Amino acid sequence: MTEPALLVRHLDLSTMRTDWRQGDAAAFSIFWWKELPLGMRASLPDELPFSEAHLRQLTAEYGAAQLSARSPMFGAPLRATFEGRPKQALALSHLFDKHDLMDGLERLATAPDAPAKQISIVICTRDRGEALAECLRSVTTQRSAPGEIIVIDNSSDGNAEPICKRFPEVRHLREPRSGLSVARNTGIRASRGEIIAFTDDDVELHPGWTGAIGRAFADESIDALTGLVLPARLDTPAQRIFQLDKGGFGATFVPLRFDERFFAETRPYGAHVWKMGAGASMAFRRSLFERIGLFDERLGAGAAGCSEDSELWYRMLANGGTCLYEPRAVVFHHHRGELAELRRQIRSYMKGHVAALVVQHDTFRDRGNLVRIFGQLPLYFLKSVLKNLLEGRRGQPGTLAPEIAGYVAGLQFLFRSGWRRERAPRLLAGGDDK
Amino acid sequence: MAYRLVEFELSRPPAAIELTPEESGIGLIGRWQDQLIGFQMIAGDPGSTFSAEALSILADRHFAPRVLVAMVEAELTSSAQEHPPLPSLSIAICTKDRAKRLLRLLHSLETVRRNSPFGEVEIVVVDNASTDSATREAVESFGYIRYVFEPKAGLDFARNAALRAATGALIAYLDDDVVVDRNWLTGLAKACRDNSGAGGFTGLVLPYRLDTEAQIYFERRGGFGRGFYRNEFRSSRFDNPLHPVGSGVLGAGCNMAFDRALLLDLGGFDEALDTGAPLPGGGDLDIFYRVLRSGRTMIYEPQFAVYHEHRETIAQLSRQYWSWGLGMMAFLVKSSRDDHELRSRHDAMVRWWFIDQARTLARAAGGLRGRDVRFGLTELWGGVRGLAGEYDRSCTRVKAIRELNR
Repeated sequence: MTEPALLVRHLDLSTMRTDWRQGDAAAFSIFWWKELPLGMRASLPDELPFSEAHLRQLTAEYGAAQLSARSPMFGAPLRATFEGRPKQALALSHLFDKHDLMDGLERLATAPDAPAKQISIVICTRDRGEALAECLRSVTTQRSAPGEIIVIDNSSDGNAEPICKRFPEVRHLREPRSGLSVARNTGIRASRGEIIAFTDDDVELHPGWTGAIGRAFADESIDALTGLVLPARLDTPAQRIFQLDKGGFGATFVPLRFDERFFAETRPYGAHVWKMGAGASMAFRRSLFERIGLFDERLGAGAAGCSEDSELWYRMLANGGTCLYEPRAVVFHHHRGELAELRRQIRSYMKGHVAALVVQHDTFRDRGNLVRIFGQLPLYFLKSVLKNLLEGRRGQPGTLAPEIAGYVAGLQFLFRSGWRRERAPRLLAGGDDK
Repeated sequence: MAYRLVEFELSRPPAAIELTPEESGIGLIGRWQDQLIGFQMIAGDPGSTFSAEALSILADRHFAPRVLVAMVEAELTSSAQEHPPLPSLSIAICTKDRAKRLLRLLHSLETVRRNSPFGEVEIVVVDNASTDSATREAVESFGYIRYVFEPKAGLDFARNAALRAATGALIAYLDDDVVVDRNWLTGLAKACRDNSGAGGFTGLVLPYRLDTEAQIYFERRGGFGRGFYRNEFRSSRFDNPLHPVGSGVLGAGCNMAFDRALLLDLGGFDEALDTGAPLPGGGDLDIFYRVLRSGRTMIYEPQFAVYHEHRETIAQLSRQYWSWGLGMMAFLVKSSRDDHELRSRHDAMVRWWFIDQARTLARAAGGLRGRDVRFGLTELWGGVRGLAGEYDRSCTRVKAIRELNR
C-alpha cells in the first residue's frame, strides 16, 4: 500500500467536470468545493483519470455529508461518536420539499472570513531551519490578519531569530527551558488575544485558517477548536506509512461537537480524546486557561512524548467545556520524511499517550484510563502481532515494534510517584502568574 | 417463520404494518421517488405491529442519509450535458427445466421492455438442454421472444450460445431464478450513458422472497447485496492490492451486462466453469476478471436491480456455500495458470481466502453458532476440492460433453 510515490493534488469539484489527469503516476486527491474541504483518496495510475460520472457521484456523496453536518435544518451541528465520527441526525421529514441543495452547498462554501484581530497565533519551534520560513509565510499571508503572531523559540541558541526577522509582524521570544508544553505555556502568557491559536513549525496554513477560527468562536458556547490536518506531501515511504497505514491526523471532513455528552458516553472506556484533533491546528479561548489551567508540562514533545493537547481537551471536557472540530480550519502538515524519524515519532506518541492516561487518571480518578492502559492497548498489540503473522506484511517497515516499545516506556510513569503528584501550571485571570 | 418484503416509498408517510402469526419480521425496500435507496431487514414478534412512528424512525436511521445523496445527485444530473444515443440491447436468459420461474421472469420483463429507454430490445431465451418442451412452450406464448436450444448442458455453454445468437451491441444476462425491478432498464440505461466506454455492468440483487429459514439466513449473511452506491472498477485499486483477483465484489452472474463485441473478442465465457451440478460457479468471477484485465471498466449500478429467489432449504443453501468455495478456487487455479503477470496476486488470494475462512470459522465456533460453523466448513471443503484439481476435472468433463454433441 505504500509502494508508489503519491502526488498530492487538489481538485475543486465546483469547477471541475472532467479530470484531465492521464494515469502515469499514482495520486492522492484532496477534494474541495471552493473553500470547503470535502474528502480525500489515493488512486493508482489505472484508476485515473476519474470519470465524469465518478466525480459527480463523489460530489453528491461529499455534498450530502456537508449539508447534513452544516445545515441546522438538517439537524446540524452533529455530535461525535465514541470513534470521533459524526452521529447522524438527519430525518426524512427534513428532506420533504427541499430544493436547490447545491445552492445551499455553495452558500456554505463561500461564507465570508471572520475578522481575526482577537486571535493570537502561537508557534513553537525548535531547530527547524528553513521549514519555519515556509510556515511563517503562510501565517503572515492569512486573508484575515491575526492580532499577533508569536514564535516561541525552544532551541538552545535562539536559531529561529534570523528567520523571524524576515517577517516584521512576527514576535520572536526565546524559551530556553525545553519542552513543547513549556514553550506553549510561555506563548500563552506572552499573548494578549482573547483567542489563542496554535500551529506547528512543520505546517503550512490554508489562507482562510484564521477566518475560519474567528467564525467558529463567534459561537459563545465554544471553548476550544480543532481543525483538519492534511498531508502536504507524500513522497517518501515514511510519509505514506504515516498517512495511509497509521491514519495520519484523521480523516473527518465534517464539523463535530465534542461536549460533556461525548465525555459522559466515552468516559467508562477511557474517553477517546485524541480523536478530537491535532496540536498542529487548534485554538482555545483564553478564559479556558484561566478556568482549567495551562498545558501540563510533564507531557508533550521534549517531556513524556506527546498528548499534552489531548490531556488538555480531557480536562476541558471533564470541566464541562465544549470543543468544535471544524475541518475548514485547514493546515498542511509535512510528515516526517525518514523511516527512522517516523519510528521515533511513533514511539514517543505511544509513550506520551500512556503518560497522559496516567495523568488523567491521577487528576480525575477515571478508571477508563486504566482500562485503556491494561486492556485496550495490550489487546490492540496482540491483534496487530497476530495480523502481521497471518497476513505476512513483508516489505512493510515495522511500526509495531516502536509502538510497543513506547508503550513499555510509558508504563514507567505509573511507578514515578513524585512525577505523578505534579500538576499543570495555572494561568491567573487577566495575565501572568509567574 | 417468514419476513414480509415491503416496498416503502419514503417521500410519503408510512402506514403501519401488522405481522401475521407466521411472520417474524419485515424486509424494507426503501425507495425515494421510485429510486432504490436501501434494504433493511427488521425482526419483529409474530403477530405484532410496526406502527407508522416506528417505521418513520427506522426509515430515518437507515435511509435518510442515502436519500439526501440521491437528491443532490438528481440536481447534479439535471445540469449535466447531452449524452450519446444508447446502443441496441439483447436480453439473454439461460434456463434449464424451470418453465414456471422462466414465465415469472418473462412477465416481469414485459412492462420493463415496453417502457424501455433503449431503442431496440430483443429477448433471447437459451434453453439449456431441458428434458421436456415446457420451456419452449413458455417462450412461444410470448411471440416476440427468440428461442435458442443449446444441447450442451452447462450454464456457460448457454451463455455463449446467447452471445452468438444475439444481435444487440449490449448483452444483458439474467438467470432464470430472478425477477427484474421495474427500473431495471432505466438503471442500465443510466449506467450506459454515464460510462460510454465501459466493458460491462453489474447491478443490485435483492431477495425475491424471504419465506424460509434458509432464505432469511442467507440474506442476513449479506446475500448477493453489493450496496446502494454506484461503483466503478478498473484493473487495479489502491485500497486493495489483490484486485482484480477478488472479482466477486463486482456483483453476481444472475444480473450482468456486457459490450457484446468485447465478449466475442475475449472468446466468450469459459465453458469449464459454471457447468451445472458438478461445478456450479466461477463463471461470473472469471468473466468480470477478464473484462477488467482487458483494460475496460466495469460499473456497478444499484438501480439496475433484480430480485433473486434464494435457495429454499438449508440443504440447498449448504450446497450453494460449497459451490462458492469450489467455484472460487477453480477460477483462481485457472486464471493463475493463464495470467502469469498477476500470479503472485492469485497466490496471495488463495492464502487470504483460506485465512479468512478460518477466521470466520473460528469466530463462529467461539460464538457457538453451529449453523455458521457447518456452512463455513462446507465452503472451506468446497475450496479444498476446488484447489485440488477441480478445474482440470471440469475441463475433461466439458470435453466429453463437446464430443457427445458434435
